Amino acid sequence: MAKLEPYSPTPAARAGRVVMTVTPFVIGIVCVLLSFVPFGRIVGSPLTPAFPLMAIYYWAIVRPEMFPPLAVFGVGVAFDLLSGGEIGLWAFVYTVTYALVVTQRPLVMNAPFSAFWVGFAFTAAFAGALGWVIVSVIHGMLVPPGPVFWHMAVTVAVFPIFAMLFGRFETRVLSGG
Amino acid sequence: MEPNRTALPFREFSHRISLIFMLTLAAALLLLGRAETYVFDQARQVVTDLAAPLLEIASRPVAATRRVIERTDEYAYVFDENERLRAENARLLEWKEEALRLQARIARYEALLNVQVDQSIEYVSGRVVSDSGGPFIDTVLVNVGREKGARSGLAVIDSDGLVGRIVSTGPKASRVLLLTDLNSRIPVVVEPAQYKAILAGDNTSWPRLEYLPVQSAVSAGDRVVTSGDGGLIPAGLPIGLVIQTSSGELRVQTFSDRGRLDFVRVLQYEFPSEVKLQDPPSVLEGAEAESGADTSSAAGDGPRAAAE
Repeated sequence: MAKLEPYSPTPAARAGRVVMTVTPFVIGIVCVLLSFVPFGRIVGSPLTPAFPLMAIYYWAIVRPEMFPPLAVFGVGVAFDLLSGGEIGLWAFVYTVTYALVVTQRPLVMNAPFSAFWVGFAFTAAFAGALGWVIVSVIHGMLVPPGPVFWHMAVTVAVFPIFAMLFGRFETRVLSGG
Repeated sequence: MEPNRTALPFREFSHRISLIFMLTLAAALLLLGRAETYVFDQARQVVTDLAAPLLEIASRPVAATRRVIERTDEYAYVFDENERLRAENARLLEWKEEALRLQARIARYEALLNVQVDQSIEYVSGRVVSDSGGPFIDTVLVNVGREKGARSGLAVIDSDGLVGRIVSTGPKASRVLLLTDLNSRIPVVVEPAQYKAILAGDNTSWPRLEYLPVQSAVSAGDRVVTSGDGGLIPAGLPIGLVIQTSSGELRVQTFSDRGRLDFVRVLQYEFPSEVKLQDPPSVLEGAEAESGADTSSAAGDGPRAAAE
């Protein structure tokens, strides 16, 4: 009986695996940085979409194995450190939202894009409401819900553009051909 | 194929365990973040300083695009604008005359009252390189750090008025708490009646006026400036105009446009805690000496007159 050789990946395969593992997380970090670029200044509005939420939702549905909970947590902490707000707020909101999306994944996995988008609208509403509740509890008062509502509304509105970009990236780079 | 079949449930299981672990960690961080602020402040400054140069590069095309749009707008209205500016210029020239007259009068009064004149406040110019990034806070990063003399508490203004104050600094970048943030409290004065109040941000675009005296007669359109109370922010910096909401609440429409922040100045203001007594100017000394001589002679006349 022939003895089975232990599998040893070539350096190229190893490098490929590292790229595959790291890329979604890097996209998440880029999304965090994008959130702080003052795009709203172009039109004179302080509204900026929640870019990391789009990345988290997209990868949680499409490739959850490539965007593990650790990456979600890392993206959230990076956002918290860069923003002047409560430490752990977005790390918590994003991780809970990710857990919710992963459990509801079969609902939108093979559905048309409209269902994927509606799913994101619910996700954004959940994340916004959770963040609002936490901040209200921390400050001991009902903070105005207007800013978070508009923040999430803009996020849902621009989601198709980013979903398309993530999709292109996924098919071109991560699918391997 | 065989190993994959056994690996899949294990992978799902480990994914689930990892998710639970991260959820717990995130909750712990949220609670811990309230207590261990020093550690997180340090981490925050490091991350901010690392990200500031990247954000500065990223914000340049944004600023350029905005300028192109503004320029296009300006071309569209250039004739109307020119007409309006001519009228405004004529009106401002009248005001300039009035201002010069009043300035001379104020200088005379200050000299009479022996007022310690404010030293001119030095400033460092910088650019806003980041947006707040979230709906629950209103802070921006400016590319002026400790190396250029920024420190916590300094007021930040733009060409329109007060923008906010610095709350943390790294070597290369600082975080500015805007007037509209939930945590912002600025002592102000409502002109012209000089009612003191606190300008309190609440994450909306229009901060509230709090602690106004009950009998105060503040109305929409009144100007709001910094009071200088507390010694952190210099007095008299323009902030905005009072507006009244439909529910009757008094709020402030700030002069600085939060959506268009670009170039700002960090005022290096030092509260004059050790005020030296100024000698009166020589002009007044002469006048005082004369009047002093007059009074003494008058006083001297008194008894003589009485004796006579």
